[in-house]
Amino acid sequence: MQRIFQIDGVETDCWLGHDGSRFVLNTPTGAVACQLDPTGLPGGYKLRAKGVVRELRLAVGPEATFMHMDGRTYEVGRVDPAERLAGSDGGASDDRLVAPMPGVVVSVAVKPGDAVEEGQPLLVIESMKLETTLTAPRDGVVAEMPFAEGDSFGLKDILAQLAPEEE
Amino acid sequence: MRRIESQIDTNAADYKANYAAMSERLKEFHARQHAARYERPQRDFDRLARQNKLGVRERLELLLDPGTPFLEFSTLAACREYDGAVPGAGVVTGIGIVQGREVAIHANDASVKGGAWYPHTVKKIVRLLDVALENRLPVIHICDSAGGFLPLQHGVFPDRYLGGRVFRNQVKLSQANIPQIAVVGGHCTAGGAYVPTLSDYNIIIEGTGAIFLGGPPLVKAATGEEVGVQELGGAVMHTSVSGTGDYRAATEQHAFSLAREIVSQWKRTPKTIIETASFEEPYYDPKELYGIIPKDRKTQFDMREVLARIVDGSRFHEYQPDYGTTMVCGFAHIWGYKVGILANNGVLFNDSSLKAAHFMQLCNQNRTPLVFFQNITGYMVGREYEERGIAKDGAKMLMAQGGSVVPKFTVIANASYGAGNYGMCGRAWDARTLFMWPQAEIGVMGADQAANTMADVKIRQLQREGKELTEEEIAAIREPVLEKYKRDVEAYTSTSELWDDGILDPADTRNALGMSISASLNAPIEEPHYGIFRL
Repeated sequence: MQRIFQIDGVETDCWLGHDGSRFVLNTPTGAVACQLDPTGLPGGYKLRAKGVVRELRLAVGPEATFMHMDGRTYEVGRVDPAERLAGSDGGASDDRLVAPMPGVVVSVAVKPGDAVEEGQPLLVIESMKLETTLTAPRDGVVAEMPFAEGDSFGLKDILAQLAPEEE
Repeated sequence: MRRIESQIDTNAADYKANYAAMSERLKEFHARQHAARYERPQRDFDRLARQNKLGVRERLELLLDPGTPFLEFSTLAACREYDGAVPGAGVVTGIGIVQGREVAIHANDASVKGGAWYPHTVKKIVRLLDVALENRLPVIHICDSAGGFLPLQHGVFPDRYLGGRVFRNQVKLSQANIPQIAVVGGHCTAGGAYVPTLSDYNIIIEGTGAIFLGGPPLVKAATGEEVGVQELGGAVMHTSVSGTGDYRAATEQHAFSLAREIVSQWKRTPKTIIETASFEEPYYDPKELYGIIPKDRKTQFDMREVLARIVDGSRFHEYQPDYGTTMVCGFAHIWGYKVGILANNGVLFNDSSLKAAHFMQLCNQNRTPLVFFQNITGYMVGREYEERGIAKDGAKMLMAQGGSVVPKFTVIANASYGAGNYGMCGRAWDARTLFMWPQAEIGVMGADQAANTMADVKIRQLQREGKELTEEEIAAIREPVLEKYKRDVEAYTSTSELWDDGILDPADTRNALGMSISASLNAPIEEPHYGIFRL
């Protein structure tokens, strides 16, 4: 099981494995065999690792585990690697809104020259009995709105164009 | 599995307007459901009291494990038939828990026309027994029926899926080693006599229960013999003389405790094992669905926002997130059960159809049940798409869907138009359960399109006869057609006709699916196999 742990906000990259009898924490600097035994106290455990035994207390929450050891509390957060490593999905956003299918323009909300924010509705189209609101892909200024209310358009026609971003 | 990041702003004006509109609809829906379950003319309650009988809901209370859920089917069946005088089609059906076991329940409601079988009653019972067969669920029949409703006997008796099918399905259940119990709490006359006699076990309540092929009046007319109900077919005669009845119960309470004891004698068959995870409530509140479903059906919405309020932990592993994006496919858990979800985010194109077909094959290979969320206005039309083979790709999707061996479940969340209904596992495609949301619509096309098409045919016909029509005359033709069609596509029409297993409050969808999936695992899942894919 690959985990990315955040200990007091600092990310550490390690794998937690199990060899059948105990846990093995694979860290960038080597594998550490470890064992956690309950002491019977609420949240109380004995941690054995590298020949050392430490008593600690754990409180497990949905987002993080809090560990109390040697008079200090550590917050250990778990990060989903698929999420953490996905990076920014969007990439550079396009200046143009391209028709996903042929249809008719129901309404136009902006005109050339208008400043718009990302996610702001630009126009509503109808196709196949469905009304879809198309929104600005980024903050910017509207350069062109080629179709008016009631106009028909074809697949991949440009429905809205933003002015190029200035560097 | 990652959590869906909701983009919904619960303070937005749209959200609030949608929420208000859905709340209004649900108020009506819950009121109708309550009326169908509990409201009857006083004389019907008086009659039951005089006959010393409990109402069907009280009987269910005695039968089912306390504190367990009962998934009731088609509460509003026949709500648009018989002037609304046969609430629930006079019968209660559903899946409940008895002695910790999932069972299918068929219970006549004698407060409705003495429990007489109307055409929709028969349809509802046959559907329940189909559910029992498909999911291998034991059946408990609670019999209390005046028999077939004679003025409509042609709609009750002769055809393949009418009265005879009830008994045929009972035979098939028995043949498939699925046990049945009948509790006779009223008269079982003529055909009705076969419900208890085809059950493995039956219990007759003394004084009120009776079984006979012909009741006393018919016997007198046929042979002149004068005989009372008890001597002809009462509990004592059948349990001690004829052997038609197995157990004699002194009271209703006694009868249902016997039924529960019988259930606990049955051998438990292990359920089918699928992938599971530990149970987790959705991270986002299911009630937020009210604000997400647009009040105008034509407005597009993101199905991921819906899924985030249905699945465990709002977690969703999306398959092919950047391909065929009008079809959202992915894995999630509901009540801990791993499922494959297909949800419409727009029209079905070639790529979205192929993606759906591929994903369904993955799920079959993987023995993962399929859940469909329909908001589908159809497969894309037009020259470009025909040239790319949209009909061929749609056929692949149907072949994969119809050929699926894993259990399927369908929620008609909004629109269900045309062939899209087929691709997305509509009623004809054997979804183990199929539910509708109250604002949803089902029809071969949208109301406007249908009204225009039908009006155009009429107008052209008149024009061929040399008639010129004014705007008003055209409107006069179109309007009534539109009005009728709009009513015909409503969820209440669908549920009245039993084209679904009931209308759901969207916030209850998760639990209805959880129960359905759990029940489906009483049946084995066979090896995947398909027909020919038109490549």
